[in-house]
Amino acid sequence: MTSVMGNHAEELPSLPLPDEQRCPFAPPPEYERLRADHPVIRVTCPTGVRAWLVSRYADVREVLGDPRRFSNRPGTAAHILLGFSGAEPVGEGEFPRMDGGEHLRFRRHMAPEMSNMKRIGQLRPLVQAIVDQRLDAVAAVEPPVDFYAQFARPVTTAVIAELLGVPEGDRGLFQKAAEALFTGALTAAEVGEAMRPLFEYLYATVMTRRANPGEDVISRMIVRSDGTERPFTDAELVRMSAAMLLAGYDTTASMISHGLLALLEHPQELDRLRADPGLAATAAEELVRYLGVGGGLLREVTEDTEIAGQPVKVGDYVVVAIQSANRDSALHPDGDHLDVSRPAGAHLGFGHGPHQCVGQQLARLELTTVLATVARRIPSLRLAVPFDDIRFKVDTAVLGPVALPVTWDKVLPAAEGGA
Amino acid sequence: MRIDIHAERCIGSGVCALIAPELFDQRDDDGVVVLLDPDPAPEQQENAYEAATRCPASVIEIHEEG
Repeated sequence: MTSVMGNHAEELPSLPLPDEQRCPFAPPPEYERLRADHPVIRVTCPTGVRAWLVSRYADVREVLGDPRRFSNRPGTAAHILLGFSGAEPVGEGEFPRMDGGEHLRFRRHMAPEMSNMKRIGQLRPLVQAIVDQRLDAVAAVEPPVDFYAQFARPVTTAVIAELLGVPEGDRGLFQKAAEALFTGALTAAEVGEAMRPLFEYLYATVMTRRANPGEDVISRMIVRSDGTERPFTDAELVRMSAAMLLAGYDTTASMISHGLLALLEHPQELDRLRADPGLAATAAEELVRYLGVGGGLLREVTEDTEIAGQPVKVGDYVVVAIQSANRDSALHPDGDHLDVSRPAGAHLGFGHGPHQCVGQQLARLELTTVLATVARRIPSLRLAVPFDDIRFKVDTAVLGPVALPVTWDKVLPAAEGGA
Repeated sequence: MRIDIHAERCIGSGVCALIAPELFDQRDDDGVVVLLDPDPAPEQQENAYEAATRCPASVIEIHEEG
């Protein structure tokens, strides 16, 4: 393939992209050879970006863990999504593209809401209630049911919308925006157009709650901001709220449906989880390792340096292959094996470094609650169609099945005080 | 074993408090790590190593001596 960018006709291999129709749960098979023979290699990415592709665990971890040499400035997905234009100036509050202290200011403002473990503990009953209510609703329908559309997405939507205080009638706004953001088919201008109604809505929400704060995350961020050295502007508060809403629902919903599908295709592992729902926490972590972040993450080199002995120059792009790193035998000798009791380990499914997923603790809570509850309440859960009929999403940064048609004999009632 | 903290790098991910709540807490206003026990008991040392390895911002430093 010839690159569409650059001024000399250098022939480069293409970035190997997930093809889940061929490998439903694994990275492209090329990565095994790349890790062995070409751990750092020049590739052309779908958006025309040329980059160094890094595929070994230790090297991926080194790049993500050293933001001084490897900057987030281009945005983490500009190599696969046209809508993420890495060349645009960083917008007010666009913290995913900031480095150092600027970025830290945003992370530490969101942390009390999303990643303080005491807060996560307080949210556990809310998440359990949402999961149980949704299973009750699903149980009232005659199966087969698409578990992605009817269970996973409603659960993750309800959790993040409850947290931010977005009423049910307004939730379509952020779902539409998220769909536009994560598809590779739209240009930056089109994505901007799709985001505008959400930003306008959140701006009005910030105004209202500034005047009359409640108990929701947006109000709490507004109130806490006033006590900081450099209070956050309305635009910055809108960006943080939008990031939580957009990143908070389809990534986790897709991990739920993709993860359940993986378990249904590994019946021994699913049986272990059914026999002991206490394995849900390690199972959730293992599914994130096993399935996480298909297209890799983008960074920009800030000074002439080396990755695994390969010289790279300031301004070069680097793509780290998360899925490949998580299967590297340097992390786990049996990394291609799905094991619901595997101790968590230092996998990179939520990323690594200062930009590691800001919603990871909420995602862990949701995944763990779903796995324990589904294993206990629907022991007869099974696919309603042959596995070969399952279709996978393409042209997106959020992978997983398009639909998850399942059936069952019986949905058991919720336990007293939650499953 | 002695644990040192480089809190200036902390992003408040909560990974340490998830793995070793006996050793690490977080501040309420910004999620930044609070070291509860710089000199962990032998049965906590494995958790301390795991927290140091998994901390996304390399905040936790472990010294063998002392």
